[in-house]
Formats: sequence, C-alpha cells, structure tokens
Amino acid sequence: MKSFERFGSLVLGGLEWIGGVARLVMRVARVGPRRPWGVDDIFHQVVELGVRSLPIAMLITLFIGMILTWQFGWGVEDFGATMALGRVVSVGLVPELVPTMLAITVGVKMAAGMTAELGSMKVTEQIDAVAALGADPYKKLVWPRICASTIALPLLIALGNLIAMFGGMLIAELKFGVPAGYFYETYIDELEPLNYIASPVKGVTFGALVGIIGCYQGFNTKFGTEAVGASTTDTVAATAIVIIIADFYLNNLFF
Amino acid sequence: MTEPIIDFRDVTKRFGDHVVYEHMSLQVFPGETITIIGGSGGGKSVCLKMMIGLLLPDAGQVRFHGTSVPDLDERGLSEVRRKVAYVFQGGALFDSMTVLENIGYALREHTTMDDEAIRARALECLEMVGLHTSVAEQLPASLSGGMKKRVALARSIAIQPEVILYDEPTTGLDPKNIKRIGDMILKLQRELGVTSVVVTHDMPMAHKVSDRIAMLYQRAFPFVGTAEAMWNSTAPEIRDFIHGRIRRAGASGAYTGEDDGLRDEEEGSDGIA
Repeated sequence: MKSFERFGSLVLGGLEWIGGVARLVMRVARVGPRRPWGVDDIFHQVVELGVRSLPIAMLITLFIGMILTWQFGWGVEDFGATMALGRVVSVGLVPELVPTMLAITVGVKMAAGMTAELGSMKVTEQIDAVAALGADPYKKLVWPRICASTIALPLLIALGNLIAMFGGMLIAELKFGVPAGYFYETYIDELEPLNYIASPVKGVTFGALVGIIGCYQGFNTKFGTEAVGASTTDTVAATAIVIIIADFYLNNLFF
Repeated sequence: MTEPIIDFRDVTKRFGDHVVYEHMSLQVFPGETITIIGGSGGGKSVCLKMMIGLLLPDAGQVRFHGTSVPDLDERGLSEVRRKVAYVFQGGALFDSMTVLENIGYALREHTTMDDEAIRARALECLEMVGLHTSVAEQLPASLSGGMKKRVALARSIAIQPEVILYDEPTTGLDPKNIKRIGDMILKLQRELGVTSVVVTHDMPMAHKVSDRIAMLYQRAFPFVGTAEAMWNSTAPEIRDFIHGRIRRAGASGAYTGEDDGLRDEEEGSDGIA
C-alpha cells in the first residue's frame, strides 16, 4: 500500500510540475512578445549564456568528433572501409550527437545557472522586489532568459558541428590515413537536407526547454539557501531527462 | 470622515492548512504612520504583501483608494505599485546592478526620464537617505546591512510614492543605524507627507515613529490605537509583548481564541532573535 501511495504521489508531483511549467510558458507567451521587447536584456543573456559557454562547447564537440571517428574507424578498419569514415561519422554527429551532447552538457549548465540565479533572487525577495517596483518578473527575468537560450544553443550547435568535423578529420587523417580533403567531401556528401534541418530544430527546441525548465525551477525555489541547492540539482536531472525524451520524439519526427 | 488609503475588510488568508488571517480588518489613513507589531511568523509581512497584490487574500477585500487590489489587472497593479513603495526586510537590492541602477529602477519602469535625469534623481535620493555619492557605483554585495537598507529606502522614494511599506526596517542593525532609520522614516513623513506602514518587533522604534500601532494577535488586529494607549493598556497580551514576556497559548482571558499565534520560544520586544 505504501509503495502504491508513493507511486501515486510521484505521478501527482510530475503532473503538478508539468502543469506549473505550462502555466509559466503561457504567462511568458502573453507578456513576453510585447513592446518593449527587452532586446538589451536578451542580448545580455545571450552573452552570459552563449558566449561564456563557447570554450566548453568547443572542447566538448572537438572531443566528440575525435572519439566517434576513432570508434567508427576501429570498427570499419577490419573491413577495409576506413575511406567511408566521413560518411558514417557525419550522420552520427550532425543530427544527433552534437545537438544532444551539447544540450546535455552546455544546455544543462545554462539551466542550472538560471535556477541558481533566479532561486537566489527568490529567497532574497528580489523577484518580489521586481514586482513591487511595478515590473513583471516574467517579462523582466524569464522572457530574456528563454529567448537567450533559444538563440544561443542552436548557434553553439552550429559551431559545434564545425568543430566536431575538424576533430573527426584530425583522427581520420592521423590515425587511419584518410586524407582530410576526402574526409570532408564524403562528410558533406552524406548529409541530406533533413540533417541540416534536424540539427538547428533540435537546437531551438532544446534551447527553449533549457530556458523554461531553468526559470521554472528558479521561480519555484522554496525558502533558504539549501532550497537553492536542491532546486538546482533537480534542474540538472529534469533538464537532462526532458532533453533526451524530446530528442527521441524529434528523431521520430525527422527520421 | 477621512477615507482610508488602504482598507482591509474581513480578510482571510491561508497557506495550505495554516490560517494567517481570519476576518481581519485594518484601515490606513492618508499621511499617518501606522506600525504593525506581533510575533515572528505571525503574518505581518503577509499583510504588507497583500497591500500591493504580491499575495492575494482568500476571502475579504483589500482596497487601495477604494479600488479592490485583488481584482486589478497587470496595468492596474503596476499603477498601485508606482504609488506604494515596499522596503524589503533584507533590502532585496538587485545584486547585478549598481546602487545607482537599483535606485533608478522604478524610474526606468514608470517614467520617460532620460538616463541623465534618472541619474540625477537617484543621486538626490542617495543623499536624502544620508549616503555619500561615492557608493553610487558600488554593487550591493560590497555594502553593509545598514547601507543596504538605506539604499532600499532610496530606491523606494525615488518615484515619490504616496505610501511606503517598511518590512522590518531595523532588524539586524546596530543601535546607531536603528536610530538613523527611525529618523529617516519621520523625516520622509514630515518632508514628503508620505503614508507609512511599518512592520517591526522593535518597540522603541514603534513608539518613536507611529501615529498608531496595530497589534497582530490571533490572526487579526484586536488592538489598533496610539502608542500611548498601547503603553497604558492593561491587556495581558499587550503588556507581555511590550515587556518581552513569554506566555503560553490561551493563558490569558483578555483575548479568546483557539490558538493565540504566539509561540513559547518567541523572542521578546527587543528584536533580538
């Protein structure tokens, strides 16, 4: 009976969380796209979230490209098919690994940062202060962050695709003797228009989810600094889970 | 008879099963300073937050100039918040903004003033609360507790409000800063004619600044009157609160109720937790 109750409360908690997130999205959709657009705030957040994530995004995608090429190269070497490396690696990296890995690493970092910042603002009454000074906290704090993550993540993914390709090229040439030029040609040749579409669409979707979850968790932080820590930890788990589920459905949609 | 500027009528407010207010009524009149006193966790700040719609009552009415605050749309609420400033307990200054940007925040939201005019007004407010202009470009993290409260006060007066709500303005401050804040509340009332609602535990402070004192007890305000009337009151709950004596729930016959809302371990009137 106890485990049944626990399961029930888990389901109810999950539904409540989804309902809360939906309410936040509706509220932001209502107050966000209005004059003034908050361009300065959005730009500031793009710099905070995107530009500051550049080094980590570049490092991660470089290694993803190198690791995947190494792994596939090791697998196809036995069949003497190393010249097909570019074709194999490109369809793994562009529509799937680069967007998803960046969303799970850099995206989750963005969401956790938002939760920590907004959660701290919540416990120190700064969010109430925004409202008390006559501004809308959803317009001032949530809208710029969701816009910024929705803009920044696809841009990082676009750059990440380039870096990952260079990583793959490096390993293909140095480890498996595939000429860089040939690797590049086969890499590009294998990509269909759908791959070029899937990558930014995933980027925009993951970026929006990162912003929404990060802000929702921050706004729903309870009292005290301990709550900020708990809320941030929950954000990391929730964002990663939601991104993986969204990735599954987007793959269903595209392929 | 003067119309109240803020009017609570028969208000009930709950958080889950916890009832904070039950059939509570309170009027705040233009130009007066009214102090709300009561034990910690009793809901004094909740009362302030309901005045500007940060929290909504579950039943009853909260009116500002006769307009029902819970029924206002976003524009209406924004207008009320332009007229009613809130000085938060910890200051609630925006960490990412300088002192000057904090003070000018409401001006940027509500007025068409240019940056230069906002800066000039913010500096003027900074001087009004007795802070040197050298702190203008500092971030809140580098300020002391007393300075933060004064910057918060400067932020609240920048837009020239009709009403200022002070949430525990002296908690955690040294006696010098407590006196300074008290003097400032009196000065603002004298010079700007603002109506003030002060939430505090600090009885000397309440005595110093108040025209009237409202004592929160058993989820309502059974005593609302002048400081002298309160000091001369023989009601045991009032005497106990003034002198910081600890009493058990329901030990008095002066006020009746199932639960007096005052906890045994509560601190006394000196504001020391």
